[in-house]
Amino acid sequence: MVRILVGTRKGLFIFVAGDERRDWTLEGPHLVGWEIFHAVLDPRDGSIHAATNNPVYGATVHSSTDLGVSWTRAEELGLPEESGLTLEKTWHVEPGREGENGRLWLGGAPGVLFRSDDGGANWEAVEGLVNHETRDRWHPGAGGMCCHSIQLDPLSPEQMYVGISAAGVFRSEDGGESWTPANQGTAADFLPDPFPPVGQCVHKVLVHPQQPERLWQQNHCGVYRSDDRGERWERLEGNGLPSGFGFPLALDPRDPDTAFVVPEVGAENRVTPDGRLGVYRTRDAGASWELASNGLPEPAWVAVMREGFSFDRLDPFGVYLGTQSGSVFVSADGGESWSEAASQLPPILSVEAVAWP
Amino acid sequence: MAVVLLPSLLATEAGGQQRFELEADTVAEALRSLPIANLIFDEHGDLRRLVNVYVDGVDVRDAGGLDAPLTGNETVRLVGAVAGG
Repeated sequence: MVRILVGTRKGLFIFVAGDERRDWTLEGPHLVGWEIFHAVLDPRDGSIHAATNNPVYGATVHSSTDLGVSWTRAEELGLPEESGLTLEKTWHVEPGREGENGRLWLGGAPGVLFRSDDGGANWEAVEGLVNHETRDRWHPGAGGMCCHSIQLDPLSPEQMYVGISAAGVFRSEDGGESWTPANQGTAADFLPDPFPPVGQCVHKVLVHPQQPERLWQQNHCGVYRSDDRGERWERLEGNGLPSGFGFPLALDPRDPDTAFVVPEVGAENRVTPDGRLGVYRTRDAGASWELASNGLPEPAWVAVMREGFSFDRLDPFGVYLGTQSGSVFVSADGGESWSEAASQLPPILSVEAVAWP
Repeated sequence: MAVVLLPSLLATEAGGQQRFELEADTVAEALRSLPIANLIFDEHGDLRRLVNVYVDGVDVRDAGGLDAPLTGNETVRLVGAVAGG
């Protein structure tokens, strides 16, 4: 079975289908009344964890160990008094590595990371980021200062990355204790110094699961690839990509040279270019890009949020995207063709797809 | 016994219980004993900005604040401000 966890502004919708990934059945909605910024099924044990927000009751995490039938809420989640910071939003939950039982990571605003070692009941703020020496040079953008990308190197247990909007990419080589900016080569065209050490507006970062020294990044100012764990980034615009601006990013889990983006016209017109829902794919590590939108709607002026893009690990791998206008599109053949799995949902904030019985 | 009434979202988070009968000396003490206290107070103990508290129909901000004493016969109602879309 394949499950798509669709986080919306009005709860969590789960779609289920067989491995052929057609004929999706809806379960839910769950967590009614909550905005689901991101939800993930933990491949270690099948538990579901959701970054949940409410304009009145704040930011938290909900977890389910029975595929959404019942939910518990985080008990302890907050920032230390002495930080002077208050948790504004929860953005992304990342399960720990195989063997790290109970460990989860949580990204939030204002530019904060938490760790849980008990499956999401209690969360401790990662002080190396809360008190980072460059924090006074981070400046929130329209989406707030959100820690939206958390990537664990699958081969090096102490190596991990975060991406924080308007702060940049940070790398830890000691399991999250200390953090080094990893922004060399990425632009911040909106600042007086266009290549500062920090302050870049990263929109999404992914580590390739089979070649973890290779990172991909969709940034406010371009699409980038790094082949040395974020030491240097190479800008990959042009050669078929209509715009460097966009939010989401997806990968081929087996081919490190293949990546997908969904560009938008630009920061001042955040819809897909050329009047179509355009997914663009590179198969040569970003040297060239091609439209991979067979079956996607046209004409269309659509937006896909930073968490609204996902891929599974089946063969052929599936690619999934959800739009702010409430449609879920699925490609069960690595982006060759697409079909609509659901429509008329509330605005979609996140999509995660995973094979789970 | 003071009575605390929750709106539907908080009642769901409290396991479906909408009405609580509590022994408490102050409004704050009553609210902090609820199983949804971490949804109405932030991590520093401050009442969230858009949570309104009414004691016998009067906004607690106009009636002594959260430290106002409870005699035991009051009805405390939590209401989320009109927000969102």
